Amino acid sequence: MNDIIENIKTKGMQKFIALGALIVLYVAFSVFGNNFFTVDTLVSIFDASYYIGFLAIGVTFVIITGGIDLSIGTVMMCSAIVGGTLYNNMGVPLWLSLFVIILVGGIFGLLNGIMVSRLKLPPFIATLGTMMVASGIGSIVSNVQSTTFPMRSAADGWYKNIFRTADNFPTGIFVLILFTLLAVILLNKTVIGRYTYAIGSNKEAARLSGVNVQRWETVVYVISGLFAGLAGIAYAATYTTILPGAGQGFELQAIAGVVVGGTSLSGGVGSIIGTFIGVFIMSILKIGLPYVNLQPHYQTLITGIVVIGAVLLDIYRTKKEKSIKSKS
Amino acid sequence: MKNKKILCCLMALVTAFTVLSGCGMGNPSQKTVEMVAKGFQHDFWKAVKKGADQAGKDLGVNINFVGPEGEGAIAAQVEMINNAINKKPAAICIAALDTTASLDAVNKAKANNIPVIGFDSGVPGAPEGTIFANASTDNYKAGELAAQKMYETISQKLTTGSSRIGVVSQEANSQSISMRTQGFLDKMEKLIESTGRSVAIIGHTKFSNGKTQGDVIIDVAIPPEINDTQGQTSAQTLLNKDDLIAIYGSNEFAAKAIINADAAISGGRIGNDKVVAVGFDSGALQIDAIRNRKFLGSVTQDPISIGYRAVELAVKAMNGEEAEDVDTGSQWYTADNIDSDAIKPLLYQ
Amino acid sequence: MTMETKAPILTMEHITKEFTGVKALKDANLDLYPGEVHALMGENGAGKSTLMKILTGIYKKNSGKITYLGKEIELKNPKEAQEAGIIIVHQELNMMNHLSVAENIFIGREEKSFGFWLDDKTINQKAAKLFEKLGISIHPKEIIGNLTVGKQQMVEIAKAISYNARIIIFDEPTAALTEAEISELFRMIEELKEKGVGMIYISHRMDEIEKITDRVTVMRDGEYIGTVNTHDTTKEEIINMMVGRVIYETPKTESAVKEDAPVVLKAEGITMSPSVKNASFSLRKGEILGFAGLMGAGRTELARAIFGADKMEKGTVFIHGKRVEINSPMDAVKNGIGYLSEDRKRFGVAVDLSVSENSVLTALSQFSEFGFVNDSLAHRTSKEYCEKLKTKTPSVHQLVRNLSGGNQQKVVIAKWLIQNSDILIFDEPTRGIDVGAKSEIYTLMNELAQMGKSIIMISSELTEVLRLSDRIIVMCEGRITGELDIKDATQEEIMRLATLREQTV
Repeated sequence: MNDIIENIKTKGMQKFIALGALIVLYVAFSVFGNNFFTVDTLVSIFDASYYIGFLAIGVTFVIITGGIDLSIGTVMMCSAIVGGTLYNNMGVPLWLSLFVIILVGGIFGLLNGIMVSRLKLPPFIATLGTMMVASGIGSIVSNVQSTTFPMRSAADGWYKNIFRTADNFPTGIFVLILFTLLAVILLNKTVIGRYTYAIGSNKEAARLSGVNVQRWETVVYVISGLFAGLAGIAYAATYTTILPGAGQGFELQAIAGVVVGGTSLSGGVGSIIGTFIGVFIMSILKIGLPYVNLQPHYQTLITGIVVIGAVLLDIYRTKKEKSIKSKS
Repeated sequence: MKNKKILCCLMALVTAFTVLSGCGMGNPSQKTVEMVAKGFQHDFWKAVKKGADQAGKDLGVNINFVGPEGEGAIAAQVEMINNAINKKPAAICIAALDTTASLDAVNKAKANNIPVIGFDSGVPGAPEGTIFANASTDNYKAGELAAQKMYETISQKLTTGSSRIGVVSQEANSQSISMRTQGFLDKMEKLIESTGRSVAIIGHTKFSNGKTQGDVIIDVAIPPEINDTQGQTSAQTLLNKDDLIAIYGSNEFAAKAIINADAAISGGRIGNDKVVAVGFDSGALQIDAIRNRKFLGSVTQDPISIGYRAVELAVKAMNGEEAEDVDTGSQWYTADNIDSDAIKPLLYQ
Repeated sequence: MTMETKAPILTMEHITKEFTGVKALKDANLDLYPGEVHALMGENGAGKSTLMKILTGIYKKNSGKITYLGKEIELKNPKEAQEAGIIIVHQELNMMNHLSVAENIFIGREEKSFGFWLDDKTINQKAAKLFEKLGISIHPKEIIGNLTVGKQQMVEIAKAISYNARIIIFDEPTAALTEAEISELFRMIEELKEKGVGMIYISHRMDEIEKITDRVTVMRDGEYIGTVNTHDTTKEEIINMMVGRVIYETPKTESAVKEDAPVVLKAEGITMSPSVKNASFSLRKGEILGFAGLMGAGRTELARAIFGADKMEKGTVFIHGKRVEINSPMDAVKNGIGYLSEDRKRFGVAVDLSVSENSVLTALSQFSEFGFVNDSLAHRTSKEYCEKLKTKTPSVHQLVRNLSGGNQQKVVIAKWLIQNSDILIFDEPTRGIDVGAKSEIYTLMNELAQMGKSIIMISSELTEVLRLSDRIIVMCEGRITGELDIKDATQEEIMRLATLREQTV
């Protein structure tokens, strides 16, 4: 019991605030929104969370190392376009195309990883470049045309069941939870996770302790890329058609979710569960605000305020921690 | 020093690449018409390009067709228009994303004696004399057509009790989408009020008719951002309202939003015997919905004709002939006539 | 001492190290026996850190021989040193603040199954056992960042021991510790002695040296001076060994300040905890006031507080007898104060701007009309000052990056002269400047004082302090421990004041 309280104190304060906020928001929209409290609405909240969720989980790793990955949004779209083009134009079987989508994401991740860890490019610049490269490649591969994945009625419509069955059962939430747990394990129980935190906390100390910083930094970007690929599949399954050149802006939504979930942009601190909650806070806002009859621009405004509030909370919390420390 | 050398090499490469790729296009002896579309990736624009290319072939001009990556990229489009003018083409065809943002460029074209032809939505509200002529769908009329067809099906339900009609509009800035929405709203209001029942248009303030209460409520939803998630959310908010009897999406994006939102509702809400859905334009998902009779039908423009007529006007302009605006027309299509010869060429996947 | 009968675990002989033309180590020697605490002493820049960095594989030596456990070794990187059992406990602790104690100790050496699955239970147990053995009470799961500095240092020592360390190097280990923590540290050092670990102890604190070390090796100017048994020597002898170099530059013998020179700056009760404690002093017109002390004595912090770069907690500043509020460097500049930072490249010059641009940077408003910079005037003025200060630059358009250290410093001086500052604070004015250029800077500073400028000079080089100052203020651990007129000042006396710690007062 003491352990749990201690744990909340040291690590999870913001996570609990975030979880509280999530519940409060859901209840508030249910009370004040017209027809918000329905299974269908819940399913839409899930729908809006799948791809952003995968992006956010992946980029959480990068952010904990103190880096940033701006390329995930366009990498997601580019991967999906490559997969869709293989399927539509080259007769590659769908399962293989889906696999390629994840692979392409991973390759972009590797590119980012090499640029950041070996070529010492600042992550912001390196991934900004990759963002544009991915957007461009997507347009080139698709010949600037939209890519349509098979509809549910089509023979290959089965893949849609990964995220939602024909009778509207949200299978995707289980997929998302599965990958969330996988990421939790990766981050807390494996060497990858330990070095992720170590690099973010003090890169030089990690290097001097004999950690192969270059290798693990690369791995972290590859993880981010692979998750962007997964996000590509989720996007294709949910929205069927993919437009080249789209995808910019999604990375910022994902990063916002990560930050709202309590991961610090300065590195060393963060959790996957926090990100999971953060993503759902963003989705509930996105889906819920129209239900209280707010004009579109007010919706964007409120979402922005929530993000700023979350970061302020984080800064306030770290400050408080420091003052406690110096007093002791 | 070394850096400078590398930079020089890079620049030389880029220049060479640009020149080479430029050489590959068109017949240098022919005049060139620059066309700046609103987008590139929607199938609609591919059909427009097809018409334009055909006209180019028929009338002996080169067509250079460009467009920004997304329909939100106003600044990118203005740059494209400026670039097109700088190439000093024989004529330029513009489908502006935003009139005010494009005005400077249009004036520049006029100053350079390059005739400007509007296509699709053209450059609405451009000062007198700057636009040679427009080849466009009369979007207002097209919106009225959608309202007329929807009304014919739902008029029974409108006579008793209170009911709601939903409208999903991609945005409120683009003239063409606004006109389709406005045409629909005006016509629907007129039709319903002619039976003695009152209408309130609520939702986005731009389209409000000032009333908040009425026998029939028309509810206009516009997503805060133009992306699939937000579109779907806007549509779903409407579909979740119990008194909804019909829903209209005023372009391909909006129709897709309705279809995706409906798929996320158990059992679905739309269908010819349930919530009557009417769309606009086409696209793979929308055509599928019409075939499956989820959608009552949709209004399609004639994108091929838009492209063709625009080039026609451009050629007239460079030859110094007179011309007037051309309505390229719109058509109502349903599951019954979707494969007919009159409709099929107008649709795109 | 029975030590001599045992074989040493480490001998370093005739070590030399050169950094692009500068000899940091000329002939350094050190030997260490098992169970010995060996103090390594010397002024700032004597080469202690360089020698230790060579020992731990951070730097490579140019020549010389290191024998460890009877074998000659050549360590290529810190990891090799760690694995060999040579560990350094850094002055600035190098830990991952967000990780737990056990995670920090075993970073890079995790217990794992299948090559990636972490077994934290085992490392927590191992850490707990380690702490038990050392008699310290720290929970292995505690987050490092939540520990006090003293506890963090214990963890670093525990980490060193977990590597089966044979040699532990302590670099100023007590700098940030409380009294209680220091005695805890000494208790651990005693225990490590029992276990036969050899320890190298770098510190300026004489009382500590006397208390826990067995022998003292003194270095000066990168050279080995001598080794003495702590018990057979005195504080004064060690200080003599540290400062006893032949002084080539003749020290000032008498203050050049006129008797009736007015006070231009007076500081009273400046406090900025923990680095500056209740410091008061005054500066007179045409005076060069030297600030001496060891690293971390709080001199730079005091200067930055007066310049408004950092906020002081308490204290007042008077300029020409009038009380002024200095809350930012802007205020300081307005009051005629100029600051020449010790870290020239970071705070002093914009290396990618030209000489001319740098020269007029502070006084830019005098060189601009309606926001447009009058470049020709700027070039002319800059050129004029280059000639005045004998700055060697092909033209005023040259980027400052391409200038030598001495000439860069001159550009900074020009900047403050153009701004017309009366009070100049020189923080380590000749750091990173070669010998020839040094004397030019000295001459320049003397000329400035003669012109009526008042100078505060912070310097860690005693010869420099003695050569230039009219009066010397010595600081130790944030307090002003003494004030000497130049005619009474000696290296020994300065050194005594610089090591005058609070509890021994």
